[in-house]
Amino acid sequence: MIFSTLEHILTHISFSVVSIVITIHLITLLVDEIVGLSDSSEKGMIATFFCITGLLVTRWIYLGHFPLSDLYESLIFLSWSFSIIHIVPYFKKHKNHLSALTAPSAIFTQGFATSGLLTEMHQSEILVPALQSQWLMMHVSMMVLGYAALLCGSLLSVALLVITFRQDIRILCKNNHFLNKSFSFDEIQYMNKGNNVLQNTSFLSVRNYYRAQFIQQLDHWSYRVISLGFLFLTIGILSGAVWANEAWGSYWNWDPKETWAFITWTIFAIYLHTRTNKNLQVANSAIVASMGFLIIWICYFGVNLLGIGLHSYGSFTFSSNL
Amino acid sequence: MALGTAIDQGEAPDYYFQKFPEDNPVLGFFTWRWVLTLGFDHMFSSPIFLGMLALLATSLMACTYTTQIPLVKVARRWNFLHSAEAIRKQEFSESLPKASVRDLGVVLMGAGYEVFLKGPSLYAFKGLAGRFAPIGVHLAMLLIMVGGTLSATGSFRGSVTVPQGLNFVMGDVLSPSGFLSTPTKAFDTEVHVNRFYMDYYDSGEVLQFHTDLSLFDLNGKEVMRKTISVNDPLRFDGITIYQTDWSFSALQIRKDDEGPFNLAMAPLKLNGDKKLFGTFLPVGDSDSPNVKGISMLARDLQSIVLYDKEGKFAGVRRPNSNLPIDIDGTRIVIEDAIGSSGLDLKTDPGVPIVYAGFGALMLTTCISYLSHTQIWALQDGTTVVIGGKTNRAKLEFPDEMNQLLDRVPELVESSLSKQSDAISG
Repeated sequence: MIFSTLEHILTHISFSVVSIVITIHLITLLVDEIVGLSDSSEKGMIATFFCITGLLVTRWIYLGHFPLSDLYESLIFLSWSFSIIHIVPYFKKHKNHLSALTAPSAIFTQGFATSGLLTEMHQSEILVPALQSQWLMMHVSMMVLGYAALLCGSLLSVALLVITFRQDIRILCKNNHFLNKSFSFDEIQYMNKGNNVLQNTSFLSVRNYYRAQFIQQLDHWSYRVISLGFLFLTIGILSGAVWANEAWGSYWNWDPKETWAFITWTIFAIYLHTRTNKNLQVANSAIVASMGFLIIWICYFGVNLLGIGLHSYGSFTFSSNL
Repeated sequence: MALGTAIDQGEAPDYYFQKFPEDNPVLGFFTWRWVLTLGFDHMFSSPIFLGMLALLATSLMACTYTTQIPLVKVARRWNFLHSAEAIRKQEFSESLPKASVRDLGVVLMGAGYEVFLKGPSLYAFKGLAGRFAPIGVHLAMLLIMVGGTLSATGSFRGSVTVPQGLNFVMGDVLSPSGFLSTPTKAFDTEVHVNRFYMDYYDSGEVLQFHTDLSLFDLNGKEVMRKTISVNDPLRFDGITIYQTDWSFSALQIRKDDEGPFNLAMAPLKLNGDKKLFGTFLPVGDSDSPNVKGISMLARDLQSIVLYDKEGKFAGVRRPNSNLPIDIDGTRIVIEDAIGSSGLDLKTDPGVPIVYAGFGALMLTTCISYLSHTQIWALQDGTTVVIGGKTNRAKLEFPDEMNQLLDRVPELVESSLSKQSDAISG
């Protein structure tokens, strides 16, 4: 009993910490920067990271097997990966653009996992014979880490596209009111403060310079994160294939989950290849990565909803306690 | 590929007749004729799909040949840049007044670069593997495809459900998959299922199932004995036997102290992965059309649920307890539950190749993450002009370079003239 209460406490703590972090971000964005709290988002995410780690370790000890056997656990693992991705740049002393992405992502996944929609899954599930293998740890953890990194990267690309095309739309519908876009380099969402500013060419070009640099940074970060995610995805898919060969005798069965993982892999390979061509570099590759975002969700969630095939123990039915 | 998920694969043609009827086509035109002629029912071995795979293979080979290999040739050449202009045009460029290109070379070597010095000009690079790795990735993918083709055309596969105590010959069960499949001597081995048993969790769910197998050769000599379970197959002479499934073969009972009788258990259809087996013991006249009897149902080999003539629940018995149960005047003792083991056999010559391809792919994908950095420098009087470029870590490159350049010592006046004479002389 003590373990399940501990688990409960840790889940709620991590959820609350992440919501506080996001609230602080929003306040910084909308109202004013509170200087004393500028480091808080980092500390908050580190706290969340430790909470979720504690949660996973507790579950591991309690269940006796690695905590990655069903959808609930994989969602917890996903939010854990997001918190790791959040704090890694912090330790490398890079300006952290990802914070605005990873924190909400972590909270969404955590929230969904703990919400009433999946109450059946909270109970620790026993491991079916097919999952009792050392490969479970490597394959699933690599896949989930890969998903997390690729999701971050593709969200960065979406942000890039939004910023690029927002400007074009604005130029098209010219007005005498120009909206002042202010950037703080810690936020990707920009706010229209609604001031009327007289158009001043040099001002515009300074603004464009910052914008262009920002877009370049987004592009670069997106590229790096997606490359890392691609690596994890490759290792995950291949270890899954080897495991399948050990367990069922064939390394590729065109199972829906396998097929969609392969499609995801292909899309991101296309992304990496479009970047080699100078003409297509920024905008087009971002479009490809954005498609990748949808495809990952189909692969991770959509296939489970179908409930067929070899990965069917990942499926679930919506039961609400509303 | 996505269509392969949307359309159920491998069903009988009748299924497609129902799902995509001609008089009410999906999307207005998509009838079963489309599905069957285009091969969408076996999407992943259909001609369209195989054609696309072949296209992928050829494009991989073409790309490697035309693009990657020339890149290697270019990268390997130690191309010195001889003019300060060319160096300044690089992505990153700096000039260090009062420095010597030799000091720069030493600093770079300390940072892990390979440095080449020719007179006043310098060329250094690091991470050349990062250039080669994409070729490795493509080659690994080709290797995987070759292995996969070999698997598809040269392997044998088979599935069998064997009740405990029976045996079978491997060759009878294995069927070829393609034109390259040739049987080996090992196919004459006889497999005997000594015992099939299951482990359960405390909650009653299945934990694991095991089969104790013995292999006998043509002379009747036992060549191998192993207990297999899921994720732990038996390997013998290129053939692998996997534990994939289980079934209930028969229930051994004694009725009114007569017997033992073996009642065959039939699988009853249920949704999902849950199994249910049942059998029926007729009571009274077994030839009459409305024969009544005792029904016995079981979810696994642990416990049997018995129902009486009217279908009312009578009791639960465990096979090893030997406790009798009286139903409608008949005394039943459940002696044993005989299970059968679901085994999959396979021999696949392509597996080593495919595994090699997998390993190569993982390794080369890791390596291609490394940046290939190139630095050129030229001693221009007392100033060193430096230019550099990298293909991956573009944002961090200027910082990295600046850190390195900070370490190059600044030369003091007296030695300067000597240095520049020595270098340009």
